[in-house]
Amino acid sequence: MTGATTGVTLTASDGERLEFGCAPGQSVLDAAAEAGAALPASCRRGTCGSCRAAVTGGPYEHGSCSPQALPPDRRERGEVLLCRTFPGGDRLEAALPYPSSRIIHGGVPEREGVITALETVARETVRLELRVEPDDAAGDGCQFDPGQFMDLRVPGQDYTRAYSLANTGNWEGCLEFFVRLRPGGLFSGWLRDGARVGDRLTVRGPQGAFGLRETGPRPRWFVAGGTGLAPLLSMVRHMAEWQEPQPARLFLGVNEEAEVFGLPELKAVACELPGFSYEICVRRPGPSWPGPPATPVDRVAALLPDAPVPPDLYVCGPPPLVEAVAGAAAAGGLAPERVHHERFLPT
Amino acid sequence: MLCYQCEQTDRTGTVPGCAGPLGNCGKDAETSDLQDLLLYAVKGIAQYATRARAMGAADDEAAEFVLYSVFTTLTNVNFNPTRFVGLLHEAAAVRDRVRERYEDRVRARAAQPVEPEPLPGPAAWIPAQDLEGLVEQASSARVDAGLAEAGADVVGLRALHLYALKGICAYAYHAHVLGHGSGEVFAGVEEALAYLADEPDDTEELLARAVGLGRLNLKVMELLDAANTGTYGAQQPTTVRATQVAGKAILVSGHDLRDLAALLEQTEDMGINVYTHGELLPAHAYPLLKEYPHLVGNYGGAWQDQQREFAAFPGPVLMTSNCIIEPHVSYRRRIFTAGPVGWPGVRHLTGRDFSPVIRAAKALPGFAEDGPEEFLTVGFGRDAVLARADRVTDAVKQGAIRHFFLVGGCDGPTPGRDYYADFALGAPEDTVILTLGCAKYRFNRHDFGEIGGLPRLMDVGQCNDAFSAIKIATALADAFDCDINELPLTLALSWTEQKAVAVLLSLLALGIRNIHLGPTVPAFLTPTAVGVLVERFGLRTVGDPGADRAAALERAAS
Repeated sequence: MTGATTGVTLTASDGERLEFGCAPGQSVLDAAAEAGAALPASCRRGTCGSCRAAVTGGPYEHGSCSPQALPPDRRERGEVLLCRTFPGGDRLEAALPYPSSRIIHGGVPEREGVITALETVARETVRLELRVEPDDAAGDGCQFDPGQFMDLRVPGQDYTRAYSLANTGNWEGCLEFFVRLRPGGLFSGWLRDGARVGDRLTVRGPQGAFGLRETGPRPRWFVAGGTGLAPLLSMVRHMAEWQEPQPARLFLGVNEEAEVFGLPELKAVACELPGFSYEICVRRPGPSWPGPPATPVDRVAALLPDAPVPPDLYVCGPPPLVEAVAGAAAAGGLAPERVHHERFLPT
Repeated sequence: MLCYQCEQTDRTGTVPGCAGPLGNCGKDAETSDLQDLLLYAVKGIAQYATRARAMGAADDEAAEFVLYSVFTTLTNVNFNPTRFVGLLHEAAAVRDRVRERYEDRVRARAAQPVEPEPLPGPAAWIPAQDLEGLVEQASSARVDAGLAEAGADVVGLRALHLYALKGICAYAYHAHVLGHGSGEVFAGVEEALAYLADEPDDTEELLARAVGLGRLNLKVMELLDAANTGTYGAQQPTTVRATQVAGKAILVSGHDLRDLAALLEQTEDMGINVYTHGELLPAHAYPLLKEYPHLVGNYGGAWQDQQREFAAFPGPVLMTSNCIIEPHVSYRRRIFTAGPVGWPGVRHLTGRDFSPVIRAAKALPGFAEDGPEEFLTVGFGRDAVLARADRVTDAVKQGAIRHFFLVGGCDGPTPGRDYYADFALGAPEDTVILTLGCAKYRFNRHDFGEIGGLPRLMDVGQCNDAFSAIKIATALADAFDCDINELPLTLALSWTEQKAVAVLLSLLALGIRNIHLGPTVPAFLTPTAVGVLVERFGLRTVGDPGADRAAALERAAS
């Protein structure tokens, strides 16, 4: 590693370039933030994979990270997590897998919100709805791209947790989340035990690189594991609202039928979006479940070879599901660049 | 990708034209290729449509589809590749429908059973099923197709036809949405597209037919003039506030009066102020639009400044018809498109349901306070000017008005456009400046004063109102009992996109000479073709504004 500042050039998927200096020992992600550009990221410690990029030039060192966030084979191909990337020469160039619109300049927006709905929708799963308060710049509304997330913070606490938005950007300031109540979860524990309608929260965002890609009329398949449905629901709701023409199908995977949620929302999308269908895959169904045991991975593996046009695949869920779907996609002949994913990691 | 249809095209290479991954307008190569293919596809529709129309089996819905499709390929109209894929498949279906009508008519008319011969070329095109396949097909539909066989002059003249047709279709579409369609115009567009489908290579014929396109465009502009004035009344001289008013706000840009009218209707009594932007400024002069009290003013300037202006506007922006450029992230979620215009990731509204715009306006802050009072004057369309014809002719005869300069057309970001501001601002005090299009924003805040109670600067309207300017010129020529070229009138035209190409051909078709065209000559025309236009039509390129102005005054005096 040199002792001088490294010139970093990041090129977004729309060709826009971001240039800044990176001090010795500083991660590219931190250097960008210091230069006033908040890149999509979440955990900032190598476990979530949301700050992925591909180095195209220049030496660097890569710190330790979760193999689920950045599988070794991808790391060997030059993919990096920017929170773990430390330049080692005069210049470093990298390609970002998202457009420049996902880079936030001038700090991540922070707003206050009030809980307007909190309801259990499945076993250990709640639907949380917030209404953010008016803001000088944004007014009453809250606009975001489908696939993005918000950091939520309970007032008076210093921890935040990232949750994907399930609704679409709107002018009423409404935010909707589906939260899995995890044993010992800091935020979800508060949701389970302390939160009430009318309570206040701080929201930071929108953030994140996950989102729909413009690739023409190519079909879109969405694969969700559990509450990984949230960003994908936002995407299909967006498609319905904007009447986008791509055929779309969604697979929601859960372990048991008691975990099934989101059916009213998916039915509503099916009524509004021509060419949309969805399947609920229950790995261990009970006797009352009308279908056989199934997983989204099985369904993708079975259907992909017969797809007349290779789809774009959007996957969100726990890392094992994401990896399994990516494997099924590869086995089915789908090019890696057609697979877009976001991993949910327990926090 | 090869695109050289607009003034801002790349001229740095040995061959002019944008050929990289991204054109200078922001259009990516994939979208550009799909646009080429769509134009190829509508030529195929036209091949059958001309024949069907000639046999009394016209399909006006197909003609409307052609107008809309061609309009989407104009500069700064639609950048959404997905939309073009949809239009391409729709084009094939429309073509098949028109073909069936034609073939049914052939069979019905034949004395003996007959199977009509299928037509070749674009008429036989079968769309690939996916985006990649369509882009591959587009390689044979490039605008320079046939260059090796036909040569650069012919290819350039074919482009002249195609681009003039884009302008014609845009104007015709605007008239059509106001209920002013015309079978004659449909037939003219179909015939011109079918002519191009045959890959013409006779330069004299191409030149002659280009002038014919100018005449067709005159009819279209007359139709549009009738549509605008018939729907909203004749323009009236009107002062327009050019600064903000406190309150919730919506900004409407583009050219479409019908969309603006619909938005005004839908926002009535809601406490939301509506502002015009760019080429919608003349809307304030139409009686049935200006009667809406919440049409409060004009905001910003010409199209190329929109990224800065839209970012600063504290409400939603509705972009109608053309002139969109890449929406900056700061306002991408509060800009909406309607009609032929589109941008990937920008909300497109259909059916003139502007409720999402209204919701955004209610949610966004709007202007906190009034700006300083500043005003512009618009509304000198043909009726307003000709109502003052006596005063105008008297002023000319008495020597109070020495000369008229029509300084107008499109504005743009390319260098050299200060010419028009210098030209207008330096005009002698005894001259009158007529203007139209968005080039006027370079000088329309200047106080030009008056001559004999007549304003020295008269805004005729949008670029779409070129017909109004022509009517003013012909009426003055009648009043002075002379030819238009004998009038003390000089035209300094600024061009950017293809509507200006159509207007230029109309002016040439009328025999108007000594037009100063700039800031550059079209890149698609070869030096030989430009030479012919200069020689036959007296076309001039712009030079030094003072020298050009002096030369014009000298010509008029001689």
